[in-house]
Amino acid sequence: MTPLEYLAAALVVGGTFFGFVATVGLLRLPGLYARLHAASKSDTLGSVLAVAGVAVVLGVSTESLKLGFLLVFLLLTSPTAAHAIARSGKEQNVEPAGDVDAPWIDEEEGDA
Amino acid sequence: MSGPDDPETTSGIDAATEQRVAPDSDGSGRVSRPATERPPYVESTIIMTTVRVIAPFVLTLGVFVMFHGASSAGGGFQGGVIAATTVVMLGFAFGIDPVADRLRNEHLGILLLAGVGTFLTIGFGGYLVGDNFLEVGGYESVMHHGTKYSIELVEVGIGVVVAGVITGLFFLLGTGINSVTVGAEEDTE
Repeated sequence: MTPLEYLAAALVVGGTFFGFVATVGLLRLPGLYARLHAASKSDTLGSVLAVAGVAVVLGVSTESLKLGFLLVFLLLTSPTAAHAIARSGKEQNVEPAGDVDAPWIDEEEGDA
Repeated sequence: MSGPDDPETTSGIDAATEQRVAPDSDGSGRVSRPATERPPYVESTIIMTTVRVIAPFVLTLGVFVMFHGASSAGGGFQGGVIAATTVVMLGFAFGIDPVADRLRNEHLGILLLAGVGTFLTIGFGGYLVGDNFLEVGGYESVMHHGTKYSIELVEVGIGVVVAGVITGLFFLLGTGINSVTVGAEEDTE
């Protein structure tokens, strides 16, 4: 294996790891916001790393240029989608679930 | 997600649960809420900016997929769905009602007619240049690469129809059925 292939393998493995983290967070965390928090960030990083790994394997070519565009669009759209979901959740008065008696949660602001 | 059934989320937030009643819970058969009951549109700079940047690329991708239906991965249906996604994105970012006002039903009707007309023109043209409906091989005698171009035109026709139908369905779900139509349905019951 060439060093570039090692780099690509590391990127893909890292992407798979973050995708796994996002899946665990989506399945295990309570409530809309916690799940969104886990899924959006880790999933964005995971997919971006995996796409970057594929682009490294393909080298300098039209395909890797397309993958570069895909990477940029993933970085743009995925956090925006998460932002839109969280925003509409707040507008529909979805409450954060889980340990609501935690001292750092401001009850009055949550009910507003 | 944290639905109304979740006991953890409903503790002490009665005001919040009231607003989360399903749109069809009054049993009237409406698929969407009228404008007065819907939550008001609140604009978000982040979403609007992203949509403004992304929308031309998405529309280009839709057209690209439409035109590559015959020779590679893609097709009229998929391209039409991607093109319609542009309108859905605009609706989410700038409010469904303003976008629906700009893209009226008549415009969507013209789009649908153009798509069906393209398909039928190519289809019945097959009788002129060949023997059968959609006999695209006959177009080779009319012009060079006639087969390829006629298949692409059929794909574009399909894509335009799909884009128009999906946009119309989105507006129907987002802005509600015309009150005249709802009244007519109630009369037949």
